[in-house]
Amino acid sequence: MSITQGPLKPQFTGARVTRLEDARLLRGRGRYLDDIDVPGTLHVAFVRSNRPAARIVSIDVEGALAVPGVHAVWTAEDCGITLYTERYDVGQPVLAKDEVRFVGEAVAAVFAEDRYVAEDAAERVRVVYDALPPVLTFDEALSEEGRRVHAHRANLFHHTEHETDGFAGAFANAPHRAQATFVTHRQTGVPMEPRGCMAQLDAATGRLTVYVSHQSPHQFRSQLTRLLQMPENQIRVVVPEVGGAFGIKAMLYPEYLVVADAARRLGRPVKWVSDRTESLLADAHARDNRHEVEVAFDDEGRILAVRDHVFGDTGAYPFLGFPGAVGEAGWATSMLTGPYKIPHVSITVDCVFSNKAPEGAYRGVGGPVGAQVQEGIIDLVARRLGKDVADVRRINFIRDEDFPYQTATGNVYDPGSYAESMEQALALIDYERFRREQAELRRQGRYLGIGICTFVEPSAGAESEAGSTPYEAASLRIEPTGTVTAALGLGPSGQGHETTMAQLIADQLGVDIKDVVVIHGDTDSAPFGGGTGGSRSGTIGGGAALRASQEMRQRLIKLAAHLLEAAEEDVELVDGHAQVKGVPARAYSVRDLARIAYTDVARLPEGMQPGLEVVVRYQPPLSATYSNGTHVALVEVDVKTGFVRVLDYVVVNDCGRLINPMIVEGQIHGGVAQGIGSAFLEELRYDDSGQLVTTSLMDYLLPAATDVPRMRVTHIETPSANVGGFKGMGEGSLIAAPPALAGAVSDALAPFGVFVTEIPVHPRQILEWVQGGVHSA
Amino acid sequence: MKPVSFSYYRPNSVAEALHILAQEEEAKVIAGGQSLVPLMNFRLSRPKTLVDINGLRELAAVEADGKVLRIGALVRHQELLAHPLVVKHFPALAAAAAEIGHWAIRTRGTIGGSLVHADPAAELPAAMVAHRGVLVLTSARGERRVDADAFFYGYLMTDIAPDELLTAVELPLPSGVRYGFAEHARRPGDFALAGAFVEVAETGHAGAVTWFGVGGRPDRQEMELSPDASSRERQFAAALAEMDGPEDEVEARYRRQLAAAAAEQAYQRATASGRGN
Repeated sequence: MSITQGPLKPQFTGARVTRLEDARLLRGRGRYLDDIDVPGTLHVAFVRSNRPAARIVSIDVEGALAVPGVHAVWTAEDCGITLYTERYDVGQPVLAKDEVRFVGEAVAAVFAEDRYVAEDAAERVRVVYDALPPVLTFDEALSEEGRRVHAHRANLFHHTEHETDGFAGAFANAPHRAQATFVTHRQTGVPMEPRGCMAQLDAATGRLTVYVSHQSPHQFRSQLTRLLQMPENQIRVVVPEVGGAFGIKAMLYPEYLVVADAARRLGRPVKWVSDRTESLLADAHARDNRHEVEVAFDDEGRILAVRDHVFGDTGAYPFLGFPGAVGEAGWATSMLTGPYKIPHVSITVDCVFSNKAPEGAYRGVGGPVGAQVQEGIIDLVARRLGKDVADVRRINFIRDEDFPYQTATGNVYDPGSYAESMEQALALIDYERFRREQAELRRQGRYLGIGICTFVEPSAGAESEAGSTPYEAASLRIEPTGTVTAALGLGPSGQGHETTMAQLIADQLGVDIKDVVVIHGDTDSAPFGGGTGGSRSGTIGGGAALRASQEMRQRLIKLAAHLLEAAEEDVELVDGHAQVKGVPARAYSVRDLARIAYTDVARLPEGMQPGLEVVVRYQPPLSATYSNGTHVALVEVDVKTGFVRVLDYVVVNDCGRLINPMIVEGQIHGGVAQGIGSAFLEELRYDDSGQLVTTSLMDYLLPAATDVPRMRVTHIETPSANVGGFKGMGEGSLIAAPPALAGAVSDALAPFGVFVTEIPVHPRQILEWVQGGVHSA
Repeated sequence: MKPVSFSYYRPNSVAEALHILAQEEEAKVIAGGQSLVPLMNFRLSRPKTLVDINGLRELAAVEADGKVLRIGALVRHQELLAHPLVVKHFPALAAAAAEIGHWAIRTRGTIGGSLVHADPAAELPAAMVAHRGVLVLTSARGERRVDADAFFYGYLMTDIAPDELLTAVELPLPSGVRYGFAEHARRPGDFALAGAFVEVAETGHAGAVTWFGVGGRPDRQEMELSPDASSRERQFAAALAEMDGPEDEVEARYRRQLAAAAAEQAYQRATASGRGN
């Protein structure tokens, strides 16, 4: 069957369509996990370890059980499920068994009539610990004398080496070499809505319904099926509205297994919603890595070879399917050369266990760190040679004629607009004029700087934290009255998929966007799909929506052609009607076609099935498509206080064909805001004894509205080879913002010899640099 | 993040409130709840009884009698910063109140709550010390007046007795002096890392600096304020070097630098326009 191409003039695709979700979300009418309120629910409070490393000597739950309103208290003896990762031979008991390995690890679960009682009782659980020396740093984890986090295996659990042929010669023979160590401290996603899970057994059918704030309903169901050892069709996963996810909600967490297991064994609905302290203790942590980098370059600033030794700390346990440190180091080193033609790399990765919270996915994964290295070495080379940072980028960029370009790390980039995006961004910020003003202002004792990051974002990959589902699914049905219902396997958390998918579908079917409903998040109604993560939804999910609606379109045309006694190629879909091209009088409305398809089936053409329903899975032709863009940050550093103000910020973004520029810009605004947090504010800090000291938002600082400048965003559209020409873009803004901001501080403080290699940058640190003399790489 | 259970009273008069405070063990007064409720939710504070004074409208007035401005304990920060009498007589206080938290916090938080809580990084305790305010403490035993400088002991510690209610503060109307205020916080609305009120005489160089955020309580130091900026810088540094700071030496050094920068800014504001901000 041939697929008819889309309408010549799409009405919705590419337009700034107002989000269909906003009417309910902005009015506070969204229904989130915690809004699910079922009579008879037991509420859970977890008793969490206050030790980073200790043997559990005993747990006394009697006091807790005596509290009125407490229904049960579980320890590992009551719920022995273990999240076991075969590859590393490490299991995480959902309730700590024999030993605790990080502060915040769940040790016991209290089930009570309400959360207040549950917390009262949790205080009365007596855990006796026998402290062990915690392993808290890379060096401790790697040292010969160091204790093992898991007694049966070494702390170093992942080691890889990759070196291009000819690296040694290229490195040794280069005219110049420089080195720097780049560090990103621990951060996390901090969605506005914390994690949560609610489970309920249907007494009549025996099916278990699990509500969860998650990015990937089907992946979650698969994991429950295996871990609860229940038939897959006995578990229904429902993801209600999700108030931010950022990767951390793609992970499988121990609490969810306790809740699901309890619902089926205690015979009552069971609910747990994380509070903010629990979130900071036990949501997936991220970053926390060190890159020891050496760069070899020529007199012009052309980079000839890069060596990177990465140390990643994944915390106490690997998340099932996504040990954060491995994922991050993998991404960071795979994308190490960014938009630059760097012919030789030598990469060593070492990932260790420690007595800190497990690391998982956070928006951008290793991208921001890789970009920090990639842009850091460019700025370093520029400084060493006394060249302009933009010029050093220009000389190293992959050019249009180089695509498809295979990087030294093995990626094949599809076409992008690396140099062009930077030139446009520099023009937007008026770079040349800034350089003149910068010099003048320095004479007045004011320190302004510009930082540039030209990023490349791998998107819509075959594998991501959303699992290894290389396709996405869309089921599409036109109801008997002609309205359209689509269901996708995605797991949106505010990205506006209901709008973007409806835009694509409405254009293909020639109907109004208001006649399209997009549902998601319920494994009973959504087709099996990969969910949301790795910037895949718009591209792969959009591809599935497009393909499904093209197939449906073909069905409608075939039916209409039959009824109109016209050739299929003479029929077009316009404004809710199938008509003979140019003859609106000879037409059937989609509503009529639907009615006929369902209820007047004698009129269907020979061999056509009644009804209008399709299920389509779309797998992109490329293993990944690479979006790109350039961020330029303009900051002022107050050398009396160490505070940094972002004065201006421009983004030139290229994610291929745009489905909805407004939504793309919203993604960028949010990513830059998180980048400001990442560069200047956010840090999960453990003290020397292994206690997390940033356990509230008074200590873990997020950017506030006043920290985020108005930014200017423009677009370039270099289409991908995927259907629709889309590229994913959910993470690029958080990949690019931290290096751009860090680079701007380096530039502002260049007169003091400052070169930022560690984020977040603290004001205190800035004053130390400014007053204490030179800090340079 | 749920509090332990507690008894709750909502008295209709100050006398009733004082009676409850006298009767109940481990009772705590709640007004705006902007500090107390988080502390209770973290279970760091576990009062057995809460006495909710939000119904006591007699504590919500701002009035001047020609000598002092009297501010009721229940006046919200948002009312304080916009009140004509405050703006007219104590512009630095109005400016400081505008820096407290965010709008939502300022519409609930009260001056009485902030003073009794006595966070060393909070604006209002320092404002009281800077303006030589007097706190009016009432109990079933009677009423007493305590100078702000004597009221604050140290980190979250004050002179108030468990059965006492802070009903008002009294600020002598300034004459012949001007005030300036500045603070440095990591983000707008955060507790200050350091801040200062500066008082300068309209004639001559007599003045005083009240710092907060450095030590455990606001610290007012009288000094001749040199018209020369670099001399002032040395004065501020010398004064701050004498003060206790955070235990961590690097942090203490940083706080002192911010405090000095704040004092200089506050000085500029006090001398520039007569306006406090």
